[in-house]
Amino acid sequence: MKFLRRALLAVAGAAIIAGALRVRGKGGVPPQGGGWRELPLDDPT
Amino acid sequence: MRVGVLGLGAVGARATRQLAATGSVDEVLVDDPDPSRVAAVVGAIDPRVRHGLHGDAEAPDVVVLAGPAPHLRLAEGWLRAGSHVVSVSDDRDDVTDLLELDGLARSEGRALVVGAGFAPGLSCLLVAHARRFLDTVDELHVAKHGTGGPECAKQHHRALAGIAVDWHDGEWQQRPAGAGRELCWFPDPVGGLDCYRAELPDSLLLHRAVPEASRIIGRMSATRRDRFTARLPMLLPPHPEGLAGAVRVELRGSVAGRREIRVLGALDRPAAVAGAVGAVVAVALGGDVAGLGTMRTVGAGGVGELVSDATAMLLELARRGVRAAVFDGSATSSSPS
Repeated sequence: MKFLRRALLAVAGAAIIAGALRVRGKGGVPPQGGGWRELPLDDPT
Repeated sequence: MRVGVLGLGAVGARATRQLAATGSVDEVLVDDPDPSRVAAVVGAIDPRVRHGLHGDAEAPDVVVLAGPAPHLRLAEGWLRAGSHVVSVSDDRDDVTDLLELDGLARSEGRALVVGAGFAPGLSCLLVAHARRFLDTVDELHVAKHGTGGPECAKQHHRALAGIAVDWHDGEWQQRPAGAGRELCWFPDPVGGLDCYRAELPDSLLLHRAVPEASRIIGRMSATRRDRFTARLPMLLPPHPEGLAGAVRVELRGSVAGRREIRVLGALDRPAAVAGAVGAVVAVALGGDVAGLGTMRTVGAGGVGELVSDATAMLLELARRGVRAAVFDGSATSSSPS
């Protein structure tokens, strides 16, 4: 019974951590330079 | 030419207005299950816009299906009646079914343009345009943000709860929607948003347009609330129309043996763009319109597959206020997929 409780506790803990990681994600890197400009359709991009 | 528009919601009303502003269109026949929408559109736009798109009347040259999915039965009926058909559906199952009407479209000598809206639609045109400037294309990444009318919002909700299908190294790969987070940078002022895989039809259509690409992934932006509630009924009724949306396509390939990345995008109200794309595609299907390029007028396929000159079509869209953008810079993606 004690083993079962510990196993359930471990599973619950892992689920909480996994849920938090899934929601928060792992961040991202914004563009380091440049920007958007209107697409010149008469010239090659 | 005579054009029919079925469905007068946020997209259909815009498509009707765009068609009525096109000189080569002699008549726009509209219909919608809601008589008040018909009355509002017929009375307000142009005398050439008339109510009446019934099966017993003479079939228009082109029919734009702008109502809620599914469009399968309607497309089949209008193809048999002798009309070209343009569908703005972004429901993946519906798009899959519509593409299977290729045989019918060919036997009738008509075209069925599938996914002629915002994304897919404008996104396919951007890919087809950018493709011209690369020798090879290995990967296509498409992301969209925003929704049009209420039906589009419902589709957005459903897409996050389904199964995403991406093209990955020569085979279709199924992943749960709502996963595969990537920080995507859209044209300003939308900027960077978390995007996730979803049950989107983009990969199906782009694989036909760019078959050499070994990886094609579609994503859409979503908030934490969107993802948590995706498998529940919508908690709030959808808004009449979303605010500014954005689309972004990234092509990775090579030019003269050198690795190249092209990133194009656009920023506008999704319903307005979908209406403009649907209308321009319908006009291109209906005849040889100067400056608009031509489309393959037999068979079923996406816009990127059937259009012969995506640049000309983007120019026409720019004349109608839908302007595309290109990203000059580096480090456009947060992580490999």
